Amino acid sequence: MAQPANVGELLSMLDSPTLGVRNDVTAVFKENLNSDRGPMLVNTLVDYYLETNSQPVLHILTTLQEPHDKHLLDKINEYVGKAATRLSILLLLGHVVRLQPSWKHKLSQAPLLPSLLKCLKMDTDVVILTTGVLVLITMLPMIPQSGKQHLLDFFDIFGRLSSWCLKKPGHVTEVYLVHLHASVYALFHRLYGMYPCNFVSFLRSHYSMKENLETFEEVVKPMMEHVRIHPELVTGSKDHELDPRRWKKLETHDVVIECAKISLDPAEASYEDGYSVSRQLSTRFPHRPPDVPTSPYVDTQNSYGNATSTPYSASRPTLFSTPGHLAHSLDFQLTRPLPEPPQATLWSPSVVCGMTTPPTSPGNVPPDLSHPYSKVFGTTGGKGTPLGTPATSPPPASICHPDDYMHISLPQVAATPPRKEEKAESTRPCLHRQPHLPNDRGLEELPSTKGPVTLSDLPGFLGDLALEEDSVEKDKEEAAISKELSEITAPEAEPGVPRGGFDSPFYRDGLPGSQRKTHSAASGTHGSSANPEPLHSSLEKFGPDTPKQAFTPIDLPCGRADTSLAGDRDRQTSLETNILTPSPCKMPLRREMDFGGGQPPPYDHLFETALPKTACHFVSKKSEELLKRVRGSPEEDSTPSASPMEVLDRLLQQGADAHSKELSKLSLPSKSVDWTHFGGSPPSDETRTLRDQLLLLHNQLLYERFKRQQHALRNRRLLRKVIRAAALEEHNAAMKDQLKLQEKDIQMWKVSLQKEQARYSQLQEQRDTVVAHLHSQIRQLQHDREEFYNQSQELQTKLEDCRNMIAELRVELKKANNKVCHTELLLSQVSQKLSNSESVQQQMEFLNRQLLVLGEVNELYLEQLQNKHSDTTKEVEMMKAAYRKELEKNRSHVLQQNQRLDTSQKRILELESHLAKKDHLLLEQKKYLEDVKAQARGQLQAAESRYEAQKRVTQVFELEILDLYSRLEKDGLLRKLQEEKAEAAEAAEERLDCCNDGCSDSGEAHSEEGSGHSGETKTPRPGGVRGSDGGRGAGGSGSSGGGSSSELSTPEKPASQRAGPFSRREATMAEPTPGIPTVGSLPSSKSFLGMKARELFRNKSESQCDEDSTTLCGLSESLKTEPGKDSGVEAKASLSLDGPHPSPAGLDSVGQLRIMDYNEAHHEHS
Amino acid sequence: MTEDSQRNFRSVYYEKMGFRGVEEKKSLEILLKDDPLDIEKLCTFSQRFPLPSMYRALVWKVLLGILPPHHESHAQVMMYHKDQYCDVLHALKVIRFVGEATPQVEVFLRMCQLESGKLPRSPSFPLEPEDEVFLAIAKASEEMVKDSVDCYWIIRCFVNQLNTKYRDALPQLPKALEQYLNLEDSRLLNHLKSCSAVSKLPYDLWFKRCFAGCLPESSLQRVWDKVVSGSCKILVFVAVEILLTFKLKLMALNSAEKITKFLANIPRDSSDAIVSKAIDLWHKHCGTPVHSA
Repeated sequence: MAQPANVGELLSMLDSPTLGVRNDVTAVFKENLNSDRGPMLVNTLVDYYLETNSQPVLHILTTLQEPHDKHLLDKINEYVGKAATRLSILLLLGHVVRLQPSWKHKLSQAPLLPSLLKCLKMDTDVVILTTGVLVLITMLPMIPQSGKQHLLDFFDIFGRLSSWCLKKPGHVTEVYLVHLHASVYALFHRLYGMYPCNFVSFLRSHYSMKENLETFEEVVKPMMEHVRIHPELVTGSKDHELDPRRWKKLETHDVVIECAKISLDPAEASYEDGYSVSRQLSTRFPHRPPDVPTSPYVDTQNSYGNATSTPYSASRPTLFSTPGHLAHSLDFQLTRPLPEPPQATLWSPSVVCGMTTPPTSPGNVPPDLSHPYSKVFGTTGGKGTPLGTPATSPPPASICHPDDYMHISLPQVAATPPRKEEKAESTRPCLHRQPHLPNDRGLEELPSTKGPVTLSDLPGFLGDLALEEDSVEKDKEEAAISKELSEITAPEAEPGVPRGGFDSPFYRDGLPGSQRKTHSAASGTHGSSANPEPLHSSLEKFGPDTPKQAFTPIDLPCGRADTSLAGDRDRQTSLETNILTPSPCKMPLRREMDFGGGQPPPYDHLFETALPKTACHFVSKKSEELLKRVRGSPEEDSTPSASPMEVLDRLLQQGADAHSKELSKLSLPSKSVDWTHFGGSPPSDETRTLRDQLLLLHNQLLYERFKRQQHALRNRRLLRKVIRAAALEEHNAAMKDQLKLQEKDIQMWKVSLQKEQARYSQLQEQRDTVVAHLHSQIRQLQHDREEFYNQSQELQTKLEDCRNMIAELRVELKKANNKVCHTELLLSQVSQKLSNSESVQQQMEFLNRQLLVLGEVNELYLEQLQNKHSDTTKEVEMMKAAYRKELEKNRSHVLQQNQRLDTSQKRILELESHLAKKDHLLLEQKKYLEDVKAQARGQLQAAESRYEAQKRVTQVFELEILDLYSRLEKDGLLRKLQEEKAEAAEAAEERLDCCNDGCSDSGEAHSEEGSGHSGETKTPRPGGVRGSDGGRGAGGSGSSGGGSSSELSTPEKPASQRAGPFSRREATMAEPTPGIPTVGSLPSSKSFLGMKARELFRNKSESQCDEDSTTLCGLSESLKTEPGKDSGVEAKASLSLDGPHPSPAGLDSVGQLRIMDYNEAHHEHS
Repeated sequence: MTEDSQRNFRSVYYEKMGFRGVEEKKSLEILLKDDPLDIEKLCTFSQRFPLPSMYRALVWKVLLGILPPHHESHAQVMMYHKDQYCDVLHALKVIRFVGEATPQVEVFLRMCQLESGKLPRSPSFPLEPEDEVFLAIAKASEEMVKDSVDCYWIIRCFVNQLNTKYRDALPQLPKALEQYLNLEDSRLLNHLKSCSAVSKLPYDLWFKRCFAGCLPESSLQRVWDKVVSGSCKILVFVAVEILLTFKLKLMALNSAEKITKFLANIPRDSSDAIVSKAIDLWHKHCGTPVHSA
């Protein structure tokens, strides 16, 4: 979007004089900023601003929206770090912050804050420090919560700067210190207002140190005289005042007002809550009363008094605190046309300057003055004041204001002066009367007592210049107050006018009233200065107004200044006492600031010319004077010290004064030349200091404007509250009306209630009579009923009697019936019995007859029987008896058999169980057997493994033994060969025998061992060993040994076995000595075996050669190694002759050959 | 009955508190009271639970067949074994194969060689690879068993078991390792494969030597409990668990040589946890061994 080239062009176009182009370009930039989120454009703008100080750019920068704030802050942070750009960037920051952008809360998190604090802690340039402190003070209410982290930093800065005010490190000009002190004073107020507990504890700790004590006495203590005890010190705590919840409820302006509340400094304080400032009034106010009656200016004063009763009381204290200043400018006020008090109250430094053109240069022509002024406005107006202070929308409440305050303010305006005074007196008698009167006396005397001192001193120290400055200062003060009044009263006069001005709506309203005319007239004359007005805010409109104001005083003769001087003398003295407090430095521009941007343009100019010298001079003189005074009149200590702001105010006024004086001196228009006239100081330095000072002033101004803005905000808020209160009151009234109506209704209802009650009682009576009648009727009827009841009871008793009788009769009847029935029954029974007995008689007769017949038959049969069956019965009886006996016998037999069966069955069962038991037992036995077997197997295994191991051990032993043997024999053989060599061929047969014996013996032992081995291990070694043994002796001897070994039977064995080890041992023992004799000494040489061997050997020696040739042909080795194989002796000899160390392999092979030979030879012989 | 219920009631707490050995010791004592010891039951027990250290040597000896199952012959058999040990040792001393200075482990090796008839002609002959294995195992068990006779027999039978019973199973273990590693952590396996380190893992150390010299004896004996009782698969799981435990370090290593080098000298402090986890893993994959008649 924003190409660099384009941006450059556009930037240059921003400063084009054409208004339309400017607006267009600004719009383009804003569009770009809206669309572009990158930091580039903002950076470019900042750079450009730093280069050119372009107002449109400043305007754009100050109205930056949310996403760019970070870039802006970063950029500012970056430049704060650089010393070169620090001042300008701080100014920019001040502009930005003062406008309270929507993102102000981010300031606390931005890295800018720490770097700003650091800068304030480190920097040594007073201008930067003052600017920075002012920016910081402006920022503090916006970010109250962040104070927590940086609180100590704030305090440190305060401590550092306050000590600066006293110690003046480096070559800081006094004038700068005035500004610095003012800003430190403001910082003091802000910190004390916001964090009282922390701040007080800081002060306590910081100034308890000895090195800081002086600073405290000189700087801080006077400051503390201007504050009252903060309620938080009583109720709050260190933590509580850092609690974010405390700050959440307060807006920026709330914080500012909070801070202002605790101030006792008339320039700083606010009495919104209406708590009295009696002390202040008692101390400050006394200056005024003497003037009130004497001066015709009472009207205006009283009009202020009236104004105090309005909600704009914030400005009130200043009125009371500055009466002293007001008073001496009475003459100036007098010149104003009385019917136009609002206009008269309007003030500007240029007015003062014009007014106080010093009498010493009466030649100053008004046209000359007016000309530079207008010029100044034309040039400085655009530069010195902040551009585009955006007109924050005039609150809708402003429309309500007039409605609300019309009835309050209008009467005041309309009221005549005397009435106002009465009012003023009546409104605050209790407040002021008491301290007033005594003080009036005292203070009236004061000027008189001190008058001579000051009068005598002042001319000496200051000369007329200082005096003029004083007067100017006072005039300014006066004018400031009057102007504020005009601001306040103006809207009262013209409430309906809509306000566009953001800094003070009332100011605008005030303008149109009476001043419009003059303004229009002025604009006519100063057309050139009126042109830039649309660009600037309403503040700057004030600029053109001031010169216009200046016209009136200019018209007046200058001689009046003289009178004012003369009249002011005594007032000055009292002022001086104020100035000459332990802190001689300065007073902030409190009052001037309230006048906003209107003032700087004239000041810019004025201060350049006037301030530096005079201020330094003035301040130094005053401080000296102070010291004197302190010594001379201790009672003055009791009077409160002047606030630094007042000092600064005065300084400014002096500056203005000096300037005007200079102006009069100068032969315009070449101002640059004039510098040399001014005390002859080098102009370059002056200019720089002046410029810095201008800057400082501007800063102060901006800061004050910011504060005023906050006040304005608050005012609007309060207005809103008042409106609401009024509305509530209305509402209350309406409610009351309603209440009355309701009461009436209630009355009505009460009357009707009574009526209803009467009717009700009547009806009640009627009902009672009816009820009585009915009761009597009831009684009669009851009586009747009782009678009837009695009758009925009588009848009932009778009825009972009858019933009883009937029952008795019935019972009798029943009894009779029973009797009849019984008799009938008896009768029937008897008749039946009778018939029965009859039939029985008949039967008896029949039976008797039959009995007779049967008896006869029986007799007849008996006769027959007795004659026939006498024999058969016996036989039958016999048979029967036999049969019975047999039966019985059989039965018993069966029984017996059964019993036998049972027993046998039982037996079988028994046996079977036995069998099962046996089987079980068997199984168990088997198992046990298995078990035992396993056990045995386990043991056996162990034993077997032991046996195995044993076997292995034996094997190893054997192996070892054989190994040892082989080694032994090798050694022995070698030795023998050597011996043989020595004895040569003529060795006797004896020798051979012996040798053979030994050989055979050892051979036997070996062979037996070998045979033992050969059974199990078929290693070729034993043979080899044996061979070597054999080889040791002559060929024949070996054969005999071999033969004997195979031939000989058991009886030899044990002996030889026993001998084996011995022989071996002997052999080993005999090794060092020639082996043969020892071998030969063995007993076995004479045995049968030995003889046999010898024979065999002899035979063998002859036959050997033939057999050898046949058997050896297969053994190529021996053929190669042994050319002479015909005889062992030859071979031995040749071997021994050949070389002292024949190879063992050769020997072995020879031995082997021998063995085979022996075996064969043995077979032949046997 | 009351005793049994009491034991069960407590065992819940034991399980919860993580002492697993309390209950087992009693049941093992019951098992050991049988006169002909039931080898199968002992096997199963040893596979399921860690053996109390006071009975470990006894159980091993029974399981390895050094002691018969009959208590009464134990003394005699042990006497035989001791005799055998002394004889063999004496023989070795006689033939000056071993001396006072010979380390105990080598003495064991020589004895074993002698018993198996493989004794070389000279002590200075170079050792066979299987002898190295023997030495490693002997060194480990020397730490575990105090009595040298017992130790010798356990080593001998253990090695014998490895060479006979597990002869076919041991070569299969690397494959099984790969398979289980794939189940547990295929990423690690892939990493190992990508480094071609799978074939170069210290299988000799792990399987042939049964981790002797790789793990400290206190943890090793728990692994050997299982091996002695007839499961050589536990070796695979110990290997898998080692790989899993040092997974992060292994993943960081890229070359097969480094991995092999690292695995050959794994830090010993975590071995106990490794073995516990390996046994759990083994139970998880092969199921808790049940008593099979």
